[in-house]
Amino acid sequence: MRILARLVVIAIVAVALGVFIIRGPGPLDFAGGTKVALADYRAGKPTGVPAKLETASLVERGEYLAKAADCMVCHTKPGEKEYAGGLAFKLPFGTLYSTNITPDKDTGIGNYSDQDFLNAVQHGKRRDGARLYPAMPYTSYPLMTDEDVLAVKAYLFSLPAVRVKAPENTLSFPFNQRWAMTFWSAVFNPDTRFAPDTSKSPEWNRGAYLAEALAHCGECHTPRNLGFALDNRKKFAGAITAGWHAFNISSDKATGLGNWSDADLIAYLSLGHAAGHGSASGPMGEAVDHSFSQFAPEDIRSIVAYLRSVPAQPSPDLPATTAPVAPASHKEGITADARGKKVFASACASCHGWSGESPVSPMATLTGTWAVNDPAATNVAQIVISGTKRHTPDGALSMPAFGHAYSDDEIAAVANYVTARFGAKGSKLTAKDVAELREQTAE
Amino acid sequence: MATKLTINGETKSFDAPPDMPLLWVLRDILGMTGTKFGCGIAQCGACTVHVDGKAVRSCVLPVSAVENRAITTIEHIGSTPAGSKVQKAWLEAEVIQCGYCQSGQIMSAAALLASTPKPDDADIDAAMAGNICRCGTYVRIREAIKLAANGRQS
Repeated sequence: MRILARLVVIAIVAVALGVFIIRGPGPLDFAGGTKVALADYRAGKPTGVPAKLETASLVERGEYLAKAADCMVCHTKPGEKEYAGGLAFKLPFGTLYSTNITPDKDTGIGNYSDQDFLNAVQHGKRRDGARLYPAMPYTSYPLMTDEDVLAVKAYLFSLPAVRVKAPENTLSFPFNQRWAMTFWSAVFNPDTRFAPDTSKSPEWNRGAYLAEALAHCGECHTPRNLGFALDNRKKFAGAITAGWHAFNISSDKATGLGNWSDADLIAYLSLGHAAGHGSASGPMGEAVDHSFSQFAPEDIRSIVAYLRSVPAQPSPDLPATTAPVAPASHKEGITADARGKKVFASACASCHGWSGESPVSPMATLTGTWAVNDPAATNVAQIVISGTKRHTPDGALSMPAFGHAYSDDEIAAVANYVTARFGAKGSKLTAKDVAELREQTAE
Repeated sequence: MATKLTINGETKSFDAPPDMPLLWVLRDILGMTGTKFGCGIAQCGACTVHVDGKAVRSCVLPVSAVENRAITTIEHIGSTPAGSKVQKAWLEAEVIQCGYCQSGQIMSAAALLASTPKPDDADIDAAMAGNICRCGTYVRIREAIKLAANGRQS
């Protein structure tokens, strides 16, 4: 018996140690300052809505917070009713569909009580008790105050009920076993509310709340660990998410945001474009269009202040410096891929120019962007496949989708040409790589 | 709100939403129908105009992006040195068949000659690849560009 007891103790310690090692630090542990309970924090108000909305109705406050948490993009199938769900998340082990979060009683969340809603958003637990998958960032939302979560609920319940059932998930065994997520949540969802850091400024605390509890930046920009949870040892170091490269947003000078000015970051977040750094496309384009562009200016500044404090994490897969402007003549510069050059000449050059500096708009300039300087060419291929549209206060500028016009082979060739001509190191994409990228992309 | 554009050296003022493509402004608002609509996604070249001397596709170019920039269209290209040479060469080589794409072809060829006065075949490929001609006049287009560059026309 004594031996058995010892074995049990050893096993428990081993599991606890394993959990500790795999789980790693929390999203805000890097700051290291003294944390106080929100109720005891007097220097500022990091939670809730910006000052101009302080006296607004609950629904209006909820609308701001729902946009800040970017609920709509994932809970809407393109071209369908907003918040009615059905967007497909293509994972290596099957497809997940987002749910209808309109107040329809049968197919949406119309029957949810306040507690049901808190359970779903913060604990990943559906009203019927079933567990959610962490495609829903219910590991970020526990940092939200209950008050803010319930304001979001009030907003959602003010919307028209849409009666539409999301398709069934097609996950394979064992991933289709929802109950298993209980253990995952026990390890990876510590269920802690946001606690302000008294060693930091009120602006930083507001930024931390917005970036971690609401905007959930890390869900795309932080690499994942063995358990498919965020590995905050490499916080904001960049990762591939939904087939796109979410680049390094740590304060690393070479490969992160260290050499971006505050004005660059403010412009990129609020307009989706910063001169010399390119334009937001793919999932970040959606985040700008539906979320960051709706933020109050002081909230954008807070996020910038917060991002600045995240420790530098170099990305070894990216070059230390981005490539300068390419020569104006097509004859000079690297022209290794004759086929890629042919595609570029007919489909790309008229907007992007042979130098990479667009004759059309600075938003279409390739020089200096991470997309063309990434030797994996992931985002170049994705933008060629699905196009991009950048909304600005002066109207939208768009690039057509070439996915149906060009073969995988041609897209690989042009991506290799573009990264070689305008980036630091040419990519070596094959038709097979492009086919895989098409597969990974959400709708 | 009135938008102001400099087109062919003249200031034009009109009302248009900021994201209206320049091609719509030219054809539907200003009645300048020499520039053609082809594909609407910058892939055929029929709508080519010059912005600050460079050939661009006007069908995807929002009007807000070209305020305070010099726009030249097919109506005026004959008044530029390169454009005049190109138009003469086009007539001499009898390039045109149906003609629908040709204003775009001429605009691209004029931009090419303005930046590269003596283009070789590779230069012509790089500059003209985005202009499609369903009649297949490519051989005569190439010939006419060389003619314009070498100044052999009458």
